Amino acid sequence: MSATGRNLPAAAGALPEVRQGQRPSVMRMRLAPGRRAGGPNGPGEDSGVEAEAARRERTQVFLARVAAGLGILVLWQACAATLAPGYIARPLGILGQVPAVFGDQSFWSAAGSTLLAVVEGLIIAVVIGTVIGLIMGRLRDVDRALRLYVDSFYAMPLVALVPLLTVWFGYTPLTRLVVVVIEAVLPIIFSVAEGARSLPAQFTDVARTYRAPWWRVWAGIVLPASLPYLLGGIDLAIGRALVGAVVAEFIASLNGLGYYILFNVRSFQENRAMLALVLLVVFALAVRGLVSLFVRRELPWYRAG
Amino acid sequence: MTQPAGAPLIHVDQLSKRYGDRTVMSGVSFDVDTSEIVSVVGPSGCGKTTLLRCVAGLTPPSGGAVSIAGHVVTDPPEGVGVVFQHFGLFPWKTVSGNVGYGLTVRGMPRGETEPRVRELIGMVGLEGFEHSYPHQLSGGMQQRAGLARALAIEPRVLLMDEPFASLDAQTRDVLQLEMLRILDQRPTATIFVTHSIDEAVLMGDRVVILTGQPSTVHDVVDVGIPRPRGRGSVDSDRFRVVRDYLWTVVMKGQGQRRAEAGNNSVDRHSEGTAE
Repeated sequence: MSATGRNLPAAAGALPEVRQGQRPSVMRMRLAPGRRAGGPNGPGEDSGVEAEAARRERTQVFLARVAAGLGILVLWQACAATLAPGYIARPLGILGQVPAVFGDQSFWSAAGSTLLAVVEGLIIAVVIGTVIGLIMGRLRDVDRALRLYVDSFYAMPLVALVPLLTVWFGYTPLTRLVVVVIEAVLPIIFSVAEGARSLPAQFTDVARTYRAPWWRVWAGIVLPASLPYLLGGIDLAIGRALVGAVVAEFIASLNGLGYYILFNVRSFQENRAMLALVLLVVFALAVRGLVSLFVRRELPWYRAG
Repeated sequence: MTQPAGAPLIHVDQLSKRYGDRTVMSGVSFDVDTSEIVSVVGPSGCGKTTLLRCVAGLTPPSGGAVSIAGHVVTDPPEGVGVVFQHFGLFPWKTVSGNVGYGLTVRGMPRGETEPRVRELIGMVGLEGFEHSYPHQLSGGMQQRAGLARALAIEPRVLLMDEPFASLDAQTRDVLQLEMLRILDQRPTATIFVTHSIDEAVLMGDRVVILTGQPSTVHDVVDVGIPRPRGRGSVDSDRFRVVRDYLWTVVMKGQGQRRAEAGNNSVDRHSEGTAE
C-alpha cells in the first residue's frame, strides 16, 4: 500500500477515495456547515434580514449627517447675519459665489496645480517612506541609527522649514513638492516601520523553513504584512500633504488653492476663499475614500484578520 | 555524502538548549527512521517546541547536534516540512497560494505548481476552497491547508508542533485520523510533538517521553500497534497499556517539577542533580 503511494505521487490524491470507501466524502459533508459557523464571512441563512438591517442603519446614518450639517449651516448663517460685518463668509454668500468661482479659469488652474502637487508628493512619499520604513522596521541597527532623526523631523514644525526651502529650491513649484513630500513621508515611515516590526515571527519561520531567498522574504512577506500599516500611514499623510502644499503656497506665493485663498481673503472675498477650502476638504475625503475602497477590495483579509 | 545503509534518517544527538542561565533541555538523544513516526510527549513548557525548532534548523542548539541524512543541521535543511501549532498561514494569500508557497519560493514555474497544489488540496479535503482566504476558514480547515503546504514539497522529514492543539476536540479527532491516512499513503519520517498522551500513542510508532527540568529523555516506548491505524486502534488493549504507562510517567514528572519549584528558594542546585 505504501509502496504504490510512493511510486505514484500524482495519483495519490485520488487513491483514498477508492480505498477508504465513504470516509473522506462524509468528512467533507461535515465541513460545509462547519465553515458557515466558523467563517466570519460565511453567508448565513438570515442574510436577507441582516441586509435589511444594514440598509436601515445606513439610511439612519445618512439622515443624521444631513440633519447635523443643515443645523451647523443654519447656525452659521444666523450668527454671521446678526453679529458679523458683511464681508465675513456665510453659507448663503458662499452659495452665491459658486457660479462665479466655478466659471473662473484661474480657480481651476489653482486647484489643478495644488492637487497635482499633492498627488505627486504622496506617490513619492509612499515609495520613499515604504522603503525607509521597511528597512527601519526589520533591521534593528538601521532603526537605532535613524530613529532619533526621524523623530526630530516629526516633532519639528515644518512650516519653519519652508522659508529655508524657498532659498534652496527657489519660489517654484519644486519647493511645494519638497514640502509635501517631507510632510507626507514621516507618518508613512513611522507606520510602515511599526508594521514591519510587528511582523509575527511565525511568518518568517515559515519562510525560513522553505528556504525562501531574502528578496522573497521582503517582497512576499514583509511588504504585504506591512501593507495595512502603509495604508494607515497614507491616511495620515493626506492631511499633512495638503497642509504642506497650502503653507508652501502661502509663503512662496505659488499659484495654487493656498494662494487663491490668501489672495481672496485679502481682497475681502471670503466667500470665494471658502469655496477653495471646501474643494480641499472634498479632495482629502475623496483620497481617503479611495484608500479605504482599496483596502476593502484588494485586502479582504485585513479587516477580517 | 550519503548515509550508510540502515542508519536513521534523523539523528538527535545529546541536544541541549539554554536561554540565558535557564537550561530547558539537556542531553536529548533519539533517532527517527525513514517513514517512521515518533511522537514526543511531555508536560507543557518542557521544551518540546524548542526541540522541534532545533531539528527544523530554526533555533541553534546550545550543545549537541541534529543530523538529517548524515548532514548536521545548521540552517533549515532542504526537504523538511513543518506544521505549526498556529498554522502560520499567510493571511494575504489564498489557500492555493499558501499550499504552493514552498514550491513557489524555490522558483517552480506556475504551470508545475498548479497540478501539485490541486492534488494536495484534494488530499486534505479542501476542494472548493482553493480561492478562500485563511480568515474565511475554520481552524480545522486552516490546519488542513497548513498540512498541505508542508506536504507539497514532498518532504522526507515532517515536523509537527502540536498541530491539533488549538482545535476543538471533534475536529482534532477527525484530523488525527486523516493525518494517519495521509502518512500511510506517503510514509515520511515524522516527529510529532504533542502534550496529549492519547494523541502521542495514536500517532506514533514510538513515543519519546521528556520529563524533568531541564527536560531529558525519560524513556522511549515502542507503541506496537500495527498500521494502518484507525478509530479502532484506540480500543485495543495495547493502546491502554501504553497510554497508562505514559500517563504515570508524565504525571510523576509533573509532580516532581512542582516539588522542585517549591524547593527552589531553599536549594536551586537540586534541579540539576535530581535526575
